[in-house]
Amino acid sequence: MKSTHKFGMNNETKEKIKKRYDQILTRGERFWPDSIFKDAVMALAIFLVLVLLASFVGVPVEPKADPSDTSYIPRPEWYFLFLFKFLALYGQIPLLGKIEWLATVIIPTIAILLLVVMPFIDHKSERHYSKRVLPISIMGILVVSMVTLTLMSDVPTGPTLVGALQTIGGLVIPSLAYILLLFVFKNMSNKTMIWTAGITAALMIGFCGAVLALYQAPPSTTETVATTVVEQIQAGQQLYSVNCVECHGDDGKTTTIKGVKGLEGKQIFAINSKDVLNTLDDPALEGVIAYGRPDAGMNPFGKAYNAQGLSKSEMGYIVVFMRYMWDDRFEKPTLKPLYPPLAAGEIPSYEAQIKPIVDRYCVSCHRPQKVNRSYLMDTYDHILKSGDDAPNVTAGDMNSILMQLIQGQRAVVSGDGIDAMPPNGKLPADVVDVFKRWVAAGMPNTAADAKALPTAVPTAKP
Amino acid sequence: MHSIGMWQKLRTAYTTVYQWLDERLGLGEMYTNLLDRPEPLGNWWNTLGSASLFLFILQAATGIFLTVYYTPSPDHAYDSINYIMTGVAFGWLVRGIHHWGATLMVLVVFIHMLRVFVTASYKYPRELTWLVGVGLLLLTLGMGFTGYLLPWNQKAYWATTVATQIAGSMPFVGDFILKALRGGPDLSALTLQRFFAAHIWILPAVLIALIGIHLYLIIKHGESHFPTKED
Ligand code: HEC
Ligand code: HEC
Ligand code: HEM
Repeated sequence: MKSTHKFGMNNETKEKIKKRYDQILTRGERFWPDSIFKDAVMALAIFLVLVLLASFVGVPVEPKADPSDTSYIPRPEWYFLFLFKFLALYGQIPLLGKIEWLATVIIPTIAILLLVVMPFIDHKSERHYSKRVLPISIMGILVVSMVTLTLMSDVPTGPTLVGALQTIGGLVIPSLAYILLLFVFKNMSNKTMIWTAGITAALMIGFCGAVLALYQAPPSTTETVATTVVEQIQAGQQLYSVNCVECHGDDGKTTTIKGVKGLEGKQIFAINSKDVLNTLDDPALEGVIAYGRPDAGMNPFGKAYNAQGLSKSEMGYIVVFMRYMWDDRFEKPTLKPLYPPLAAGEIPSYEAQIKPIVDRYCVSCHRPQKVNRSYLMDTYDHILKSGDDAPNVTAGDMNSILMQLIQGQRAVVSGDGIDAMPPNGKLPADVVDVFKRWVAAGMPNTAADAKALPTAVPTAKP
Repeated sequence: MHSIGMWQKLRTAYTTVYQWLDERLGLGEMYTNLLDRPEPLGNWWNTLGSASLFLFILQAATGIFLTVYYTPSPDHAYDSINYIMTGVAFGWLVRGIHHWGATLMVLVVFIHMLRVFVTASYKYPRELTWLVGVGLLLLTLGMGFTGYLLPWNQKAYWATTVATQIAGSMPFVGDFILKALRGGPDLSALTLQRFFAAHIWILPAVLIALIGIHLYLIIKHGESHFPTKED
């Protein structure tokens, strides 16, 4: 009796398959120990590779999620990159490209369905490669396009040469190959199919190579990420110095704002006090930074309100800094000193000593777009040359405007004169001393310049 | 000699215990049915399935360790991961293995599928093994997708935003799916909670069940042989 199977394989064929398998088994091996041995070697190799990757490559650090930072360019996990790229290329197809769900839903669904029904479409008993050239060619082209699309995923698509090359290599060539294989060359010989698939793959790889060779990646602007507490405190300190010192002072002690346009004389809480630190928890502090206190005069720093603002991670670092430096419930770790200590008679330089000092105490007000008599302190040249009353500081002149101001004196200049600097506090004596040594020695820029100067210059006495 | 006497005693003790267990558990049957099976001559390509299994077990083990310190909330997720990396002894190693293991698992499962495809091992009588396998591939990708959001960093947040948006572009049901995935119109604490539940409970439970069926079918039908001109 000949019974036909629903999917076209009859019982005789099944019997034949079983017989052949039994025959193969007589010439085979045992699961234990033969197969298990190979499996164990493979598992061990994988484990070693993972340990090496974890130790020497590690997990890339990323800044904290920031829902307000819409400028972030999203990138999926690498094994979805090919889909992402496919969507981008597909979107360029006229008319069809506008129907997004065709690519996002229909095509992946078809791909999954094809996998599901594979055993039922390809139901004949033939298994040898020579009898399955068509399916293997189709899968081969698919795998090559997945790999090349992944490789090209960083290159932007668009009406440029690399854009066109990508569209041809990533979309046009494989589509043409599929049309040829499935619809045009009906009943073609194995040779034709292999040649078609081979040439297609070679062309795709060629185009992908050309795209990668022609494309110049822009320099990446990645935010630095601090992971350890000490790194976070230091990052927070720097951000605080630039963004907050103008109103809250270098140590958060300020209770009367001075030297800030529009807020002159405003009374505020000292943000290093228990009143503030004990009543606001970390999310609340981050909230104050993100939303500001707009009615009181503190601008928001969150990216949602301020495109040049701080990222979520950065606000987090400032909070860590405030906690560890000012909150007595936290133990202050030992940090690097503000500037490399100087031996007696050693000459400070801008690079090594003055820059970190100025960044901490002055830059917050003396940067562009602030009220400061056009005196910018962000670079060596600006410190020497900028300002309405420039030069504010001259080599060897211990009575320059800057030297008077930082020693707590009023400087009489054009107009009504300037109050001491920084307006909201006094500089520590050691910092003033560094300034004095620097000016007296001739204001060297780099540490090498400072070394080259004769050390005989005596330390200036006030 | 004294030591030989010892040795003999140990042997009888071992035999007694083994026999006791064998009568109750059927250790001997297990050995013949599970381990002492005949197989066609193997090849290194045949190790990829068990490599997938090994990676799954490794991911489970390292993942369980990570949940000890990980907190699935937008306020704490990032910091808890940072703590694992800097504060916990060997936390960096465990997370590193979990991170790279995820990548490798996707790769290995995919190549395993390719080899099964190329050797046409999905044909009679192994169609169901293949079908279950397709489920395993999708679940593995699902694990990658849900796990990616958990560190709650910029990359994770925006990649998930875009991916769920893509799911939301489906006609008719898109809006529903988007909201079901996100737990609301936007990514929020609820999304993270949902992805976490899927990543550590729902998907692994289904994965374990399907792996069980997959392995049962493999033992039942035996490993297929590499096709020759005769097949
Ligand atoms: C333009 C001036 C200005 C700048 C810059 C500024 N703040 Fe403020 N800040 C204020 C004012 C004004 C208040 C309201 C104080 C009050 O009401 O006592 C305030 C309040 C605060 C408070 C809350 C105090 C409370 O009791 O609620 C915190 C915390 C704070 N600022 C931190 C910061 C941090 C951190 C930065 C830097 C990222 C910063 N501020 C930058 C002006 C400023
Ligand atoms: C809180 C903001 C603030 C801080 C901090 C600050 N300044 Fe000023 N600075 C000002 C303002 C405002 C002026 C203009 C004063 C005026 O017009 O009366 C000024 C003016 C000056 C001038 C005169 C510039 C000129 O060309 O007339 C010098 C010099 C100066 N500051 C030095 C410093 C130094 C050095 C520091 C750091 C130790 C510092 N300032 C920190 C706000 C600040
Ligand atoms: C979590 C993922 C998976 C695990 C743990 C797994 C595990 C295994 C193991 C241990 C084997 C036997 C050894 C071998 O042939 O390599 C096997 C065979 C098999 N797998 Fe998988 N697999 C997974 C995914 C898949 C996928 C994605 C497919 C296909 C869509 C698939 C289809 C098959 C088939 C058809 C066999 C039988 C092969 C033969 O008999 O030659 N598996 N799998």
